[in-house]
Amino acid sequence: MSKEFLGEFEELVLTMVGILQEDAYGNAIVSEIKDRVGRDVNLSAVHVTLYRLEDKGLVKSSMGGATNARGGRRKRIFQITNAGMAMLRAMKEARMDLWKLVPQLKIVLS
Amino acid sequence: MKEQNPPLVALRFLAWFCPPELHEGIEGDLMERFERDIEIHGIKKAKRKFVWNVLNFFRLDIILRNRISIQLISTIMVGNYWKVAARNMAKRKFYSFINAFGLSIGISFCVLIYLFIVDEGSFDQFHTNKQNIYRIEEKSFDIWQHDSDNPYRKSAWIQVGFRQALLDELPEVVRATRYNSGGTGIFRYDDKVFTENITFVDGDFFAMFSFQLLKGNRDKLFKNKQEIVLTPAIAEKYFGTEDPIGKIVKIDAEGEKDYIVAGIIEPAPANSSLSYSILIPQENRWNYERNMSQWGNFNTPTFAQLAPGTDLTTFKANLDKLTEKYVGDRLKKWREESMVPIPADAKMLEYEFTQLPDWHLKNEISWDKVSDPQYSLILGGIAVLILLIACINYISLSLTTSASRRTEVGIRKVVGAQRNQLIYQFGFESLMLAFLSMFIGLGLVALFLPAFNEFTNKSIQLTWSGMLQVAGVSFVLALIVGLLAGSYPSLFLSHFKPALVLKGRFTSKLQAGFTKPLVVLQFALSAFLIVSSIIMFRQMQYVTTKDLGFNKDQVLVIPTQTGWNEEANKTVQRFRERAQQESLIVSVTGTSSSFNQGYSRYGYKIKEEQKSAYVYAADPFYIPTLGIELLQGRNFDASMPADSNAVIVNEALVRDMKWTDPLNECLNWREDSVGLGDKVIGVVKDYHFLSLEQGFEPMFLSMDKQHVGYLTTMLVKISSPDLNAGLEKVKSIWKELNPNLPFDYTFMDEDVAKQYDSYKRWMSIMGLATGFAVMISCLGLFGLAGINTINRTKEIGIRKVMGAELQTIFMLLNKQYLWLSLVAYVIAIPFSWYVMNKWLADFKFKITMGWELFVVAVVVGLLVALVTVSYHAIKAALVNPAETLKYE
Repeated sequence: MSKEFLGEFEELVLTMVGILQEDAYGNAIVSEIKDRVGRDVNLSAVHVTLYRLEDKGLVKSSMGGATNARGGRRKRIFQITNAGMAMLRAMKEARMDLWKLVPQLKIVLS
Repeated sequence: MKEQNPPLVALRFLAWFCPPELHEGIEGDLMERFERDIEIHGIKKAKRKFVWNVLNFFRLDIILRNRISIQLISTIMVGNYWKVAARNMAKRKFYSFINAFGLSIGISFCVLIYLFIVDEGSFDQFHTNKQNIYRIEEKSFDIWQHDSDNPYRKSAWIQVGFRQALLDELPEVVRATRYNSGGTGIFRYDDKVFTENITFVDGDFFAMFSFQLLKGNRDKLFKNKQEIVLTPAIAEKYFGTEDPIGKIVKIDAEGEKDYIVAGIIEPAPANSSLSYSILIPQENRWNYERNMSQWGNFNTPTFAQLAPGTDLTTFKANLDKLTEKYVGDRLKKWREESMVPIPADAKMLEYEFTQLPDWHLKNEISWDKVSDPQYSLILGGIAVLILLIACINYISLSLTTSASRRTEVGIRKVVGAQRNQLIYQFGFESLMLAFLSMFIGLGLVALFLPAFNEFTNKSIQLTWSGMLQVAGVSFVLALIVGLLAGSYPSLFLSHFKPALVLKGRFTSKLQAGFTKPLVVLQFALSAFLIVSSIIMFRQMQYVTTKDLGFNKDQVLVIPTQTGWNEEANKTVQRFRERAQQESLIVSVTGTSSSFNQGYSRYGYKIKEEQKSAYVYAADPFYIPTLGIELLQGRNFDASMPADSNAVIVNEALVRDMKWTDPLNECLNWREDSVGLGDKVIGVVKDYHFLSLEQGFEPMFLSMDKQHVGYLTTMLVKISSPDLNAGLEKVKSIWKELNPNLPFDYTFMDEDVAKQYDSYKRWMSIMGLATGFAVMISCLGLFGLAGINTINRTKEIGIRKVMGAELQTIFMLLNKQYLWLSLVAYVIAIPFSWYVMNKWLADFKFKITMGWELFVVAVVVGLLVALVTVSYHAIKAALVNPAETLKYE
């Protein structure tokens, strides 16, 4: 886990793909981020990040079934790969390790 | 409200920049968002947001994504394409041959024309000082042959004294040399006597131009005015292996003198406007001292080398000042005396100049080897025509053979080939064929080059560096041809729908309607070439066989080599007396110049009218020897002394003078103020003493040695049976009478034919191009007819079973081709009529382009087409129907 590095936004998008499971496509991720984190993110930024994650092998994508909505266009559904899961876990653990080193109890009551 | 659509422009824009495999997902997301935005914000804002979102996607990460991986896929497929292309070629050897043959001939023609154009451009480029060397040219108001459209005469011949004036008066002129070539002289050393070409120059010649001096001192040459410089070939001819430097030779060039060999210079290359074999100082020209102060004689080309960075406008102004100083008075007089009105603003004479690299293509000024830039254009046009015909062959053949590729396309598509992959594949195939043709074409270039050099009168050689260039050019050509010829077939072939193709619902008949116009175009191009070359051929035939009004056969033309004096006439006289004993020699006469060996023309004023006439010195034997028809009066008579002041004129002169009774007239051509002029004693029928490009001009013959000239050329008519024996006899008599003079001769009929050399060359080029074009298009037609017949095999079988006659089937199969070629002729004939009319305008005497010429061309073309397609038709018509139908 030494060389691989994920930016904060990449990690956020990757996590969302993990959460949404079968329903992870561009728009859904944008709304999910809005709902859960309260952040307004750009659709194109999400797409670009997803493709980048795909290049790194952390997610894989396939075209979903056709629907009558969306002008008949199919969705590109993303799915987190094992490597992606491992990456998320490693990052979480690394952060937890660091977190533990922060002295938590020095709360001074006034 | 459900039918609210996002802005179309934005959608199109997205489709344009977005990689296809991402497009659907992205567009879908955008649409979904748009639908939601409509509900939240209303249609207007939703549209605005949609555009904004699309624009957000326009970023490098998206645009450039996966471009590389597409390439990767097709490089994987290249091996397969290669294999399939090779198999296809091998399977249809004949069609591959037609294609490769046509394309390689087209390519090789283009390469040859490229070499031609490069050679034209390379003229005089090898001189280090080329940017600073200028040829001084005269531009004067033409009062001789007035032509209001183009009243100026331009020529490179200026006064002898001009060089000295340049050097003395203009500081920017660093060096200058005069240059007179084209003259001959008799060169003697020991017992070797030959006539050689002599070139008169000044010492600066060696420093100005980059011709390498092999021996001798560049800076000291021609300080001594009796020095000469030779080329190695001449030196070897006279001195063999001995060192030529310091040898004394005698040269009779405008007066016999002794010269000392002072230098050896390399010969000028083929792409040089200057050429020489023997260089002699200008000071040795005849009457040099007198001519130096003669500012009315324009007889010497002069070149000046200017200091680097000279301002050309000041140079021009300085030349104008020089003109005023040296010839100002003279010009004023000319203007006053001129017969034709000269506009006040027109200059009588001014000097212009041309930079050395531009001499070769400046064809308004006549110069050795000067060429018309149009030639390059015409040749290039022919080459492109041939290449085009070959490309059309490729296109129409691939379209018509596409039936057999249809299944392949279907299978490939089913297996997952994208349309553009198929386009790549067929493009690859045509490129492969084009490159194959390129290699064959390069071989053909090497093969054709000697013949091409002969046709174009050039001496192009393939050097290694030249080869590299040629390879580069042909590579580009092959690329262009491959893409051009391959583009339509690959679009056509890749459009088949797999489901339809594989279900087998296609009939085996082809519907490639696009091939018909192509065939018509191809045939029209060939028809144009056929008509043009038939007309050219007829005109050349006319020119070479036309009765010129005199008998040019078996006449030897021999220069008397005595110079401009009485001795010339005596030589002719002696020869005639000696020759009378010989049965092989019919008659001997003398003249001032034979046909196509120069002429003299005099201008004179009669009754305030400017006239001019060509003049030939003659003797009483001239008219009978040449078999010229005397219409009125009598021939010269040696026994009548008054005849030396008499003239025999031609009909054109009688017309020009508007005489009704010419035998009672006198021609005062010397503008004698006392006498009446020369008595006219005879009128000859007009004969072509000029080339057929010109009409009959006024001319007269005279025996006046003093004013008209001496018999510097002897004409010997020999009897017909044995030309060689006659020639030997003449030579031996010459050696007997003039042991010290070289014997040079030409045949008059060859001299006359030489006038049309350049036309003949053009005719052969056209003939060759026509031959190839017709051959290539016939091959194409042959292939098409073959495919067409195969397509209709079954139909023919059924027709035969139903009782169709052989000729009905023959007609059936050939009818459409005849129609196509007829249409092609209808297109081509007006076009070639127009072009050939322009060509024929060069000739005063020409054939008329009657309808029969075109009929001949049409019949020839149709016959060729018919023969071409008949092979298949007859073969198909003869097949037993049982053979073709039993497999049903």
